[in-house]
Amino acid sequence: MSRLSIDGVARTFPGVRGGPPTEALQPTTLAVGDNDFITILGPSGCGKSTLLRIVAGLDSPTAGRVLLDGAPVSGPGADRGMVFQSYTLFPWLTVRQNICFGLREKWMPVAQQSEIAAHYIAKVGLAGFEHHYPKMLSGGMQQRTAIARALANDPKILLLDEPFGALDNQTRGLMQELLLSIWESERKTVLFVTHDIEEAIFVANRIAVMTARPGRVKAEVAVTLAHPRHYTIKTSPQFSDLKRRLTEEIRSEALKVATLA
Amino acid sequence: MTPLKPVSPGHKLALGLGFFVLFVAAWSVATFGGFVSKTFLADPLTMVREGYALFADHGFARDVGITIWRVVGGFVLAAIFAVPLGIAMGAYKPIEAFFEPFVSFARYLPASAFIPLLILWAGIGETQKLLVIFIGSFFQIVLMVAVTVGSTRRDLVEAAYTLGANARGVVRRVLLPSSAPAIAESLRLVLGWAWTYVIVAELIGASSGIGHMITDSQALLNTGQIIFGIILIGIIGLISDFLFKWANRTLFAWANE
Repeated sequence: MSRLSIDGVARTFPGVRGGPPTEALQPTTLAVGDNDFITILGPSGCGKSTLLRIVAGLDSPTAGRVLLDGAPVSGPGADRGMVFQSYTLFPWLTVRQNICFGLREKWMPVAQQSEIAAHYIAKVGLAGFEHHYPKMLSGGMQQRTAIARALANDPKILLLDEPFGALDNQTRGLMQELLLSIWESERKTVLFVTHDIEEAIFVANRIAVMTARPGRVKAEVAVTLAHPRHYTIKTSPQFSDLKRRLTEEIRSEALKVATLA
Repeated sequence: MTPLKPVSPGHKLALGLGFFVLFVAAWSVATFGGFVSKTFLADPLTMVREGYALFADHGFARDVGITIWRVVGGFVLAAIFAVPLGIAMGAYKPIEAFFEPFVSFARYLPASAFIPLLILWAGIGETQKLLVIFIGSFFQIVLMVAVTVGSTRRDLVEAAYTLGANARGVVRRVLLPSSAPAIAESLRLVLGWAWTYVIVAELIGASSGIGHMITDSQALLNTGQIIFGIILIGIIGLISDFLFKWANRTLFAWANE
């Protein structure tokens, strides 16, 4: 049985000032199995973030439904952890307090909170920065803290909305490796949205390719690269083949948007 | 000069003091040089002498104390009621829709115009003085706090929801802490305005306070005392402002550059 099922989810935004409504997402269906790592790959503006926000419960679908372990999702909750593209650490809390935010919300005993925080701080390589405020951290460190904050809550599924989009290339590569190593050791169920083809292949077990706006899942591509994955895999023939194929898929979608505009 | 280029702390202090020196110099030239009649404007030395006399012979310290008490009392009273209402309005849109039009209207009612009415209602005692400051501060604080809370970063609110916070948790653990520095800054500004209201309140129907001293001095044509009173208000204002800024910096270290 799948952990998360997205069942005919569509989203249309009402027209602005009497204009025609905008269809952001066509009815989309996707099943995410337990311990799956799925990337949703699509050109910008294809509604992939909208889809993720609906799964998170931050937006409501105009049609269809989202089921988590068989129960319909009606709003945001701690069972779906989310990492955003923008830096969303609470600036008035230290790294450690940020990571404990969800645990405090559950009234977990402080000793247990500290234990969990220490575990994830070590995991994302932020030992020694526990008492730093977000403004003292680099973008990469802030996103690592955000990942730790989401994981500390022990969600059933981790949702990532282009979490490394604002980072420079080198940092992004390192963050992908970090995320992958965390997934390899913790076996979380992950849904990861990105427009970066290489990123989508490197971290995922399966890639859902989306069409241009209004988006829907156009193809599902399995990634059979063995684990643990090393960054050198990015230059392997198998990786290159996948990349070539996905580049074609995405390019034809991007072209549609470019010629329409 | 290059736009937006910072100035060194030493230069900043020298420039800031420079204007004060220039100001007193111009005042001295105007008065000691005989360009302005002594009846209309006292010279700096007379002002200082009169100020000393006020404290030494007329028990002015008590007036100063009373004025400070009125400002702080009225301001704190206004803040106690206005801050929670502003937070509620900023957080909950129906509450805002209910109060905002009236508060926006009431904000433009000049506090000083209420003085005759307040004297009728509350007499010329302390209650009336506090009410003037309360009316002058309350609506301003409500609106500024509501705007601050209402402009909380939406992505932080969403992050809190995905971490399992409920509506109350979002107010308590996101809206409040993220707005706190700006709320404190609004309070600092309004405290400055409260000083202008208290003097107006003391000009009419008061028997004590700095404003009362100023009206008395006007009757005696003692411009030295009047100017001393005005400058003293400025100095007290400057000190309270400095304390407020210092407290904000210390309390909200996370928000500073």
